[in-house]
Amino acid sequence: MPTMRRPGLLVSAAVTITVPGVLAALAVLGHERVAPVTFPADSLPAAPVATVPAADTAQVRDAAPGIVKAEQDTISTAVASAREAAGLRLLGRSAAAGLATSYQGVELIAQLGVDGAVTMISDVWHRSGGLTITRTTDPTELDVSQPSGFYDVDNRSPEGVFGVTKTLVTLLGRHYVAVYRGNGSAVGRPALVVDLHRGDGSLAARFWLDSQTMVPLRRDVYDTSAQLISEDAFVQVQFGSLAAQPGAAANGGSPDKQAWAKADVPAKLIAGLNGSGWRLPAGLPGGLPLYAAAQTQTGMGQVVYLGYSDGLSVVSLFVQRGTLPAKMAGWAPVNLNGHLVYVAGHSITWAGRGSVYTIIADAPLQTVKQVVASMPPAASPGFLGRMGRGLHRLAALVNPFG
Amino acid sequence: MQISALVDGELSGAELDRANAHLAACERCRAEAAELRQLKRDLRALAIPLFDLLSEEAGGLAEVGADEALTRRLLAMAGPGGPVPSRRLRREQHRRDRSRSERSGSGPARGRGAGGARGGGGSGRQRAAEAPYSVRPRQFRGAPRRHGRYVLWSAVSLVVVGIGAAAFGMGGGGGGQPAPRITPQLEMFSIEHAINSGDVPFPDPTKAPAQASQGATKP
Repeated sequence: MPTMRRPGLLVSAAVTITVPGVLAALAVLGHERVAPVTFPADSLPAAPVATVPAADTAQVRDAAPGIVKAEQDTISTAVASAREAAGLRLLGRSAAAGLATSYQGVELIAQLGVDGAVTMISDVWHRSGGLTITRTTDPTELDVSQPSGFYDVDNRSPEGVFGVTKTLVTLLGRHYVAVYRGNGSAVGRPALVVDLHRGDGSLAARFWLDSQTMVPLRRDVYDTSAQLISEDAFVQVQFGSLAAQPGAAANGGSPDKQAWAKADVPAKLIAGLNGSGWRLPAGLPGGLPLYAAAQTQTGMGQVVYLGYSDGLSVVSLFVQRGTLPAKMAGWAPVNLNGHLVYVAGHSITWAGRGSVYTIIADAPLQTVKQVVASMPPAASPGFLGRMGRGLHRLAALVNPFG
Repeated sequence: MQISALVDGELSGAELDRANAHLAACERCRAEAAELRQLKRDLRALAIPLFDLLSEEAGGLAEVGADEALTRRLLAMAGPGGPVPSRRLRREQHRRDRSRSERSGSGPARGRGAGGARGGGGSGRQRAAEAPYSVRPRQFRGAPRRHGRYVLWSAVSLVVVGIGAAAFGMGGGGGGQPAPRITPQLEMFSIEHAINSGDVPFPDPTKAPAQASQGATKP
């Protein structure tokens, strides 16, 4: 008789352990600003809560422990898949909303750069489907009433808010796992919270998407050691009816407005340029593939823009033929892993092998260092290099056909 | 062997008597001994001006008494071709030969003393006296060629060094062609970065606030 009763006891014990475990996991999932899970009916898979094991006790008692475990695994996997799919879908909807929704507000951007933290306050005005005007202030240096820049990016507006663009969300899906976490709040508004995980499971970023409009309200980015390296958030936002359009847009906008010829196939552009003596990388360390390219002509010659991203980290590389001036006013010389570079706020520049490289990076410092190390260095060409260059110039000088 | 010892004055006593007695009877040996003595005299006659010239070139060599004697002995022991003459001596000899041949009207000797003497039908002794360096005619024939080679090598070296120095000088400064000085247009770059990254553009920190805020004053 005791032997007959033992399987029943085991099943009871398993249920006793499993049910609180699942409940505890759900409780852990809803921490910080995240409220208990309730899903918007239109966008999410059928209520995950409903998938929590709620089987009849008698059936459970009769079932073998192995079967219970298998069912739980299946349910957990299904829940995880649904949450992942929902996370990416929410980000995709958010990217579209960032373009389609009219809004105005104040953004606070705090990022950890090469020379320390950079904090900005930016007034943003965006009209549905088009114009975006931003007016940015560095609160550490200037009075907020005196903005340090005014940008009109008419017709080529940023295609999203806080890095949530259609292109970058597509890249996110290839490099990260986006998981819907539940409801939360940001800037006093209800929000959906989406976590972004790396392949190793570590948290890479967290997004708060406005529940009503799906426009991103906040984004936190973490490096691989779980340190917060970027915090972008609306501190004030208003959707729908906008105040009068800021004046500068009517005058044609930014003083540095520049016509860039965007390349439809970025890889093709750099292949062509590399064939004519440029040194442009097809990808950057840290798993950052090329996703955008453009070029333009300025008073200082041709400028090539290359954008590299995994969807979250974005590194923009600008390459020009020439060298840096002897004096770099406003730039601080910094030794970055043995490379002498010049840093100004968010930007890093150096000259190497006949070109000037400038990068602007929204990426962890470690990635930035890897990127700089992978590029042609600013080091002296050495005796042989100098002789070779001199002979080349000499030949060009005496070549009657040159 | 005996004859050379006799000529060198190395025999004495009974050996000397015996050798002399043999010479008195043997005409062949007498002729050979006479030839050897003549040769020795010629060499000695040559040795004095040679020594003077050499010591003048070596500078101070003549002032050393013991060395002088040794040098003389060495010169006296030299073979029929004489010691390897110095360049200066060769030039002098060459000049002497030429002036002599011009005086005699026998055409230019061109330093080929052996050929000239042979052409004149002189004996071997005459050859030795007039053209002591005839055993090394190549010395004279090769000198102008070597001189040309030196000139050629010097010219090539100069050209290589000159090109190298020019290349090193021109290879300095910036990379590539005479490189234009580029100041990154940060404001423009920042906008392009913002457009593609979906973020707000950062202001250009290298610009003075007054200049940067100019755009914001527009109505």
